[in-house]
Amino acid sequence: MTQVATRSTASGPGRLLVAVYGILALAATARGAYQVALKLDEAPVAYLLSLASGIVYVVATIALAKDWRALAWWAVGIEMAGVLTVGVLSLTVVDDFPDETVWSAFGQGYGYVPVILPFLGLLWLWRTGRPATRTGRPATTA
Amino acid sequence: MIVALALLVVALCVALAGWASWFVVRDRAVVLRQLWGGAVVEAVLLVQALVAGVVAVTTAPDIDAVLVWGYVLTQLLILPIAAAWAFAERTRWSSVVLVLAALTVAFLEYRLLQIWGTV
Repeated sequence: MTQVATRSTASGPGRLLVAVYGILALAATARGAYQVALKLDEAPVAYLLSLASGIVYVVATIALAKDWRALAWWAVGIEMAGVLTVGVLSLTVVDDFPDETVWSAFGQGYGYVPVILPFLGLLWLWRTGRPATRTGRPATTA
Repeated sequence: MIVALALLVVALCVALAGWASWFVVRDRAVVLRQLWGGAVVEAVLLVQALVAGVVAVTTAPDIDAVLVWGYVLTQLLILPIAAAWAFAERTRWSSVVLVLAALTVAFLEYRLLQIWGTV
């Protein structure tokens, strides 16, 4: 893959995106690790998904920060599928989700940020993937 | 948590977020003075962690220790990361990140109060 003439996913507004992803990565991974380590038998499906979502956020954060586009597309795509799937399941198959995960009810416990974020992530990946000159700014490599 | 310390943390964070928001509006990057402001917040957080540690050891409150210390640790990490950002990105976006970081610390403080209750 050539990286020539595309803007880094970590520059400018991308900083904010990486920051939000980083905070969610921290929140979801810490929560998931805590749930899996101490009370897995209470709600195995929800807690394993919790940890999985944390790992997805960690990968997405690193990929966006490092401008690894292919990996970022995958991670954000999986994140979008995850939050939508778990969002629906947590409202329909309530028995398997007795406790909250980051993705429950479309991320309600986190101000619905988890359901908005992947859309912003994909939009940003798409925008920065176009030649930098079209945005009217020089390509920065910060 | 000690309510007075918690309120102080939240007030300082909101002030820092307000200051950084002003910089976002003015299209300016984070300046060193704001990082000193962040250092003040960190100092109060450290004091709070120490006090909480002493209270936890002496009174053995009915708390979920892993959860509480997880929050305390996370809270301490956020502003230093935002500071590192401020050096890397010399545009208004570093100010946006500082707003987000300060508000996150304030929110975690609120969650800590919920988890621990008041002492």
